[in-house]
Amino acid sequence: MPRDIALYIHVPFCHHKCSYCSFVSYDYREADIPLYLSALKKELIRRAGGECIRSIYFGGGTPSLLSVKYVGDLISAISSLFTIDEAAEITIEANPGTINRTYLTAIRELGVNRLSLGVQSLNDRELALLGRIHTAAEARDAVQHARDSGVDNLSVDLIYGLPGQTLSDWQHTLEEAITMRPEHLSLYSLTLEAETPMWRAIKEGSLPELDPDVSADHYELAEDLLAAQSYSHYEISNWAIVGRECRHNLTYWRNLPYLGMGVAAHSCLDGHRLANTKSLDKYLADFSGKSSPVPELDEEINPELELAETAILGLRLCEGIDLDDIHRRFGIDILVHYRKQVEEMVDAGLLEQAGGHIKLTRRGRLLSNEVFWRFLPG
Amino acid sequence: MEQALTRNFCIIAHIDHGKSTLADRLIELTGTMSREEIGKQVMDSMDLERERGITIKAKAVRLHYKANNGQTYRLNLVDTPGHVDFSYEVSRTLVACEGAVLVIDATQGIQAQTLANTYLAVEHNLEIIPVINKIDLPGSEPERVLAEIESVLGYKAQDTLLLSAKTGQGVPPLLEEIVRRIPPPRGDARRPLRALIFDSRYDAYKGVIAYLRIVDGRISKEDRLRLMGQDTEIEVLEVGYFSPEPCPASELAAGDVGYIATGLKSVEECHVGDTVTSMYGGATEPLIGYNPPKPMVFAGIYPTQAEDYKDLREAIEKLNLNDASLSYEPESSPILGHGFRCGFLGLLHLDIVRERLEREFSLSLVVTVPGVSFIIIKTSGQRLTVTNPNDFPEPTEIEKIEEPWVKISVITPSSFIGALMELLMQSEGTYKHTEYLGQYQSGGKLGQRVRLEYEMPLRCMLTTFYDQMKSRSRGYASLDYEFIGFREAELVKLDVLVNDVSVDAFSRIIPPEKAHEVGKAMVAKLKEVIPRQLFKVPIQAAVGSRIVARDDISAKRKDVLAKCYGGDITRKRKLLEKQKEGKKKMKSIGRVEVPKEAFLDVLKLG
Repeated sequence: MPRDIALYIHVPFCHHKCSYCSFVSYDYREADIPLYLSALKKELIRRAGGECIRSIYFGGGTPSLLSVKYVGDLISAISSLFTIDEAAEITIEANPGTINRTYLTAIRELGVNRLSLGVQSLNDRELALLGRIHTAAEARDAVQHARDSGVDNLSVDLIYGLPGQTLSDWQHTLEEAITMRPEHLSLYSLTLEAETPMWRAIKEGSLPELDPDVSADHYELAEDLLAAQSYSHYEISNWAIVGRECRHNLTYWRNLPYLGMGVAAHSCLDGHRLANTKSLDKYLADFSGKSSPVPELDEEINPELELAETAILGLRLCEGIDLDDIHRRFGIDILVHYRKQVEEMVDAGLLEQAGGHIKLTRRGRLLSNEVFWRFLPG
Repeated sequence: MEQALTRNFCIIAHIDHGKSTLADRLIELTGTMSREEIGKQVMDSMDLERERGITIKAKAVRLHYKANNGQTYRLNLVDTPGHVDFSYEVSRTLVACEGAVLVIDATQGIQAQTLANTYLAVEHNLEIIPVINKIDLPGSEPERVLAEIESVLGYKAQDTLLLSAKTGQGVPPLLEEIVRRIPPPRGDARRPLRALIFDSRYDAYKGVIAYLRIVDGRISKEDRLRLMGQDTEIEVLEVGYFSPEPCPASELAAGDVGYIATGLKSVEECHVGDTVTSMYGGATEPLIGYNPPKPMVFAGIYPTQAEDYKDLREAIEKLNLNDASLSYEPESSPILGHGFRCGFLGLLHLDIVRERLEREFSLSLVVTVPGVSFIIIKTSGQRLTVTNPNDFPEPTEIEKIEEPWVKISVITPSSFIGALMELLMQSEGTYKHTEYLGQYQSGGKLGQRVRLEYEMPLRCMLTTFYDQMKSRSRGYASLDYEFIGFREAELVKLDVLVNDVSVDAFSRIIPPEKAHEVGKAMVAKLKEVIPRQLFKVPIQAAVGSRIVARDDISAKRKDVLAKCYGGDITRKRKLLEKQKEGKKKMKSIGRVEVPKEAFLDVLKLG
């Protein structure tokens, strides 16, 4: 029987880099999209092994910069190389400034059945601060286009904890997003990597410092508002109508195998974590020739580390880790194996044990790193 | 070689006035080594010394110099430590010499240690040759410095040499002056052996190497000798001199400077200042009475990780092999675990020991606030010497406290007098004396050069005094100090509590009127450096049971990793691993994780 796998396709192009973004994406390189597509197809051919694909995720960058034809090419290449499960979840990330009804209708016909919309904020001042290419009105329109074209599995991304953002600013954005009734919401606390433009602005003093306590207030407000609107909080940063949890991302959190294609894409297969080159030029060169490219990262995950990663990733889910499941997979009792850590974190009020699971408490979700590092080996 | 053709001398100078560079030039000019071979300064062979521009361990180099009169002389250049912490070693070195080259920086003039070293050399009846160094520098003022030397030290301009050790300009005449002005060694090779140990170091193969000045008699290999002060017997495994590498020789005779390998296992057994004589038919009187150096400054040294205690012990033992002035005894602290209470000659000595432990032995250390030794007379009449604040008795049991005082001498441009006097007052100093040394030639703004003399508790010099003195004088002021005895004091112990637990490492002894101010500063600093914990942490400063300052660190609320980028779990894990590593480096106080920097920062508070 072919094994189940999740497939990630990275699209490293953007009209414009956002001021907080440290992901691998290139602006002003859209002319390379045709070349990139042919390189991607070569990589798909090289790495296909008869797997059964349970989910496809076009991430970026801005995957919605791909034309309908290119999305179609990729999906048909994937379906000729792999088995795509009939019920497969196929997600595309989109920037509200790049889509219209025609486009969405067309890619839906190609099989894309989930749209992840990078709304980020519904406040124009905040959108400008983030360096987004769209306004709040355009974001509202994009949601409308999605609904009009029949998208029935819509996820909205929002960012909170922006410099200078008040609790009521955040409440406005979030409440309006809820009125759009997306099936899924991903809420991310703004985290700045070194050398991003916003990081520099804060360092130079032209923007106020991020305040972790304010950010924590924002998070707790979101937990309360979304619970009241019957969204289920299923992962630290993710909420969904029950049954609409992101299947692709659940693969990561359950520490199951996935294949990543394209620049900087990560894979997890057969006890290894692999990553492709972060350089678009190198990637294009690697997949234009005959020689076999070497992954930029190839890390062997020993069983001890795999257990730790499984625990850490599993604890991100609000249902926590299923003790029986761990026992089946690793043959150990996690409560014995991590006895000290679990006791310490339960005492600190960050972990709780219930119904054959261990999981983060409400406070623990905000302090999850404090729990996670304790599960690392060594 | 005739005794008449030998000259034994040292170079004395204030720190950074160019002692080591001048030594290099003399070694080069006499053909002992080429400039390339000297490369790095041979006289300072420890990395740390070179970085700090000071010489920690004295050495002796033999130079052969063909003088203008056609005779070849044997010049023994004995290197001296250049810092006040090491004045005991300096004075031993001076006993081994008949002359001293006094180096004074042409841009800075006479500094505090110039005076201190000159007085020491005069006390030992050395012939002094003053030289003004760095005349190649644009800011040099040789005329002014000449006048200053004449007025302050009393040496005539025509007896003072102008030179640049860096370029070599003016150095050849110095060699002639050394031969002409410094007297040959007295002493008689036919009399019973008497040699002075002026330094020692441990060698893994040959045991303790003692550096000697032979006053009377001679030493050959395999001689059986006795150290008079300690009554230790030794056999000479090797005898020789440095050029600058060790050169074994057949013998050393009266007037010579060189070394013997003793086979002893520790420099503790071979004290600087002791006299060596023959086991049979030896001398009856030692050359000088010797007193081992007394540690003046004390601090606890602990490993950051308890399991490194054994490594720390071995490292301190190894350092002690070469540094008899470092004292140590095991100590344990409820918070810091097992460590050592170490005694140092001064703050610089403490710094050097700490850096060597960290650098050469890769140890991560916590060093407690340095303190002095107090003499405490209890109401019961019992007399205690306390070097650790935590051994202070309860206030009700104390009849009287005495603490060490120093006489300090600060040389500064007069424009900074106000700022420095204020600092000295704040540091509990008592004014003694002002002396005007002369006018700055170019420095209308700087005004006169002034020497301030104060007496103050050594305790007040231990933390930020030196840095503050430097910053208040824009780097101009220089300092020298000497111990003058114990005096009665009114003091209390200030404790710091983190999360209700008293942190012994932060306890310090201060005058009661400063308790609030110091306590507030320590609490504020700790609040700044202790990261937020999973729970609220109160920080308090207390004298006895009375809280004099308090602040709280609120509980940490948020520590979450952001969006997982395209399945990049590895990067997330690396961030968590980093976090875990960071935690490992912390000290746990009660349940509070305190970074090592917190200790260092609080230690720096004045």
